[in-house]
Amino acid sequence: MSSVLSGVRVIDFCWVGAGALVTQALAVEGAEVIKIESSVHPDNLRLSGPFREGARNLDGSGYFASRNSGKKSFALNMSHPRSREIAIGLVASGSVVTSNFRPGIMERWGLDYESVKALNPSVIYLSMPMQGATGPHRDYVGFGSTIAAAAGIVDASGLPNRPPIGTGTHYPDHVPNPGHALVALLAAIWRRERTGRGAEIELSQLESTINVVGPALIATSLGATLGRPANRVTCAAPHGVFQCEGDDRWCAISVRDQSQWESLASVIGASEMAHDPRFATLRLRKENEDALEAELTKVTLQCDAWDLAKTLQDCGVAAAVVETSGDLFTDPNLVARDFWRTLDHAVLGEYTVGSMPFGWRGADRGPTTPAPLLGEHTEEIARTILKMLPDEIETAKTEGLFV
Amino acid sequence: MSDRSSHPLDGVVVVDATDASGAYCGRLLADLGADVVRIEPPSGDPMRHHEPTVRLASGEIVSCFERFVNLNKRSVTLDVTNDAGRDLARRLVGHCDVLLDTPGPGDVTSLGLTSEELASLNPDLVRVSISSFGFEGPYAQYASDDLITIASGGLLSLGGYEDTPPISVYGNQTYFAESIFGAVGAVLGLLAREQDATARRIDVCGQEAMANALEDAVPDYDLTGSIRRRFGGQAREAGSGTFACADGFVTMVAGRLGTAAAWMSLVAWLNEVGTEGAGELLDQCWNDHSFRQRRESITYFADVFERFARTRLKHDLYHEAQARRIALAPVNTFADVLADPQLEDRGFFETVADPIAGVDLTYPGRPYRIDGLGPMVVRPAPTPGEHTRDVFEVMLGVTSEELRYLEKEDAP
Repeated sequence: MSSVLSGVRVIDFCWVGAGALVTQALAVEGAEVIKIESSVHPDNLRLSGPFREGARNLDGSGYFASRNSGKKSFALNMSHPRSREIAIGLVASGSVVTSNFRPGIMERWGLDYESVKALNPSVIYLSMPMQGATGPHRDYVGFGSTIAAAAGIVDASGLPNRPPIGTGTHYPDHVPNPGHALVALLAAIWRRERTGRGAEIELSQLESTINVVGPALIATSLGATLGRPANRVTCAAPHGVFQCEGDDRWCAISVRDQSQWESLASVIGASEMAHDPRFATLRLRKENEDALEAELTKVTLQCDAWDLAKTLQDCGVAAAVVETSGDLFTDPNLVARDFWRTLDHAVLGEYTVGSMPFGWRGADRGPTTPAPLLGEHTEEIARTILKMLPDEIETAKTEGLFV
Repeated sequence: MSDRSSHPLDGVVVVDATDASGAYCGRLLADLGADVVRIEPPSGDPMRHHEPTVRLASGEIVSCFERFVNLNKRSVTLDVTNDAGRDLARRLVGHCDVLLDTPGPGDVTSLGLTSEELASLNPDLVRVSISSFGFEGPYAQYASDDLITIASGGLLSLGGYEDTPPISVYGNQTYFAESIFGAVGAVLGLLAREQDATARRIDVCGQEAMANALEDAVPDYDLTGSIRRRFGGQAREAGSGTFACADGFVTMVAGRLGTAAAWMSLVAWLNEVGTEGAGELLDQCWNDHSFRQRRESITYFADVFERFARTRLKHDLYHEAQARRIALAPVNTFADVLADPQLEDRGFFETVADPIAGVDLTYPGRPYRIDGLGPMVVRPAPTPGEHTRDVFEVMLGVTSEELRYLEKEDAP
């Protein structure tokens, strides 16, 4: 954990996908993140596997842990009549308030930006509705995969003669939306440090996602039809993934210039390919790309994917094993960079989580405390922030408020 | 024009010496008010040919990638292969808050300056170095591009059909990921500089950005040892996935992570219109997630749903499903996105007269709205060297005589 955001308290109403990754990143950078949640209406991720064997319960989800490490949990039943006064007390103490509900929920609770700002004038308030708080589709529901479809990413990904496929994941939840939200939040924090001014940030998950296909939209608006290039590009050949020995093992290879092509042909011992007139220049390799890929595959099928990638990189040809989730745990680069962190969790035991994909010398970029149990920090927070007495806290629990 | 004084990064000066893999980083900072000065060699920036490209009626070929990532930046041309050019690069680095670069193998900056020199020029410089594998670690010297990064970061293993090689997502997504987290790192670096006033070099690693994007595949392996594979548009549970309809496809989540209410609503809809085979879905067993995750259940559901969807248009399905609180969206083409009524209602797209294309270009609006900010477009993406004189004379106080001398040196 770094300390850049120490002193920043985040009152976090985010759940499930993109929002949880935003606030996990804030926690890693030193903010105190208080996740408001309830067993009455639990975060879907707490209900989603994988679970630790024998711990199929609200505290046993590894999926939840992977997005909530480093946070505190405050159990608050928002359907209880007294929940609002508690929530108000919390947001008044926070310097950042985050949520990713559909429009209207925070308003129903009296926790809209204007209300929070009245209590807390310099608050930075992030909401992440699917399609924004205005417009005819403001109430439309979605997930990462449906947002990717609506943004055009799914249609552009796949083979031309097959159904479209996208990334195979809820991609917008993992990169464009948490990433863009963090850029905006941090820029607003930077401005507040200099001017004292807060900010209301609204990230429409659709609009954020559309930006990562921005170049394609400019091209389409000029009349271009882009098709589905799959793994190929115009300026390199071969450029694709090639099957290697073993079960479903592949090596990605990218050859951008003539000397790389010559190196490739020589190190893999494919002298016929090097002299094949169909492959003599980039233009010819692009024209005969099907044949090129077929010939190259004959050779790669005899190679170990890891050896092949290393051999090619050693002579300056861009190559990488198509790594599986399992490979990543032992990838020499990630291991040497101390990317994976092991955290100890009361129910899960030890589990693994990635660090932030950036950092600098002298600052820790990984989470240091595990994901919270549901309501783990309720008492501590009620006592220290809300200044509640032990018997008040006990009453709040028994009457179904702190659950 | 918008009120620049309200922009969060107003007053921050950024030098952008990245290649295509990091160029969106400066774009994000420029949109937030930073003065982003892009350095291009007089011989031409290779990124100006990056796909997708379009040949215009005028015969001009324009890189839509370059136009997109350079919006709101200024451009200077600078030949850093000679001493005079390097001297100007030094002065620029001495003047800026943030330097963005994409040092390739060998860790050479595109400004021709060593890391030590940069640190001595600007004692509290925030330098953001963006690369596939990071500048420290055994792969630091490796060559790379988008496909190599997405392969090494694991996301490629989840893309593609079961019976084909892994297939990468469209559109250089690793370049966007590296750039977005580069921008996150840049602003954090500025915040850290406020606290300790020292220089720092931020190491942004594309492989790691991808390794964090594998959804449940990492905890799955970690807790159960199982390795998730590519499965095309096929869902892992009945009710979710991509399905064919009359004019294309729709993507739906009414299974895993969706709500029980959405599944009930979907089944009710299918039965309301008399879909053959939908009666079976009313059986109690279908309310159980593990039953819905069986291969036979997935196939049965897909057959029933596609029988229903094949006579319906994707946008009709979209609106009707949403009225029933089911998370379904059309698999939009890029042309569909440009015509989307929600985006139009919000005034999302912005146009700007482009000095290279000679026509108006249409840009997606900001990825977020921050109160008080006016239109996103402040200036069109620049022509090469459009601001050389402004930047060196006005910002750095270089005399026009010195510049004339340089221009002569730059001449072919």
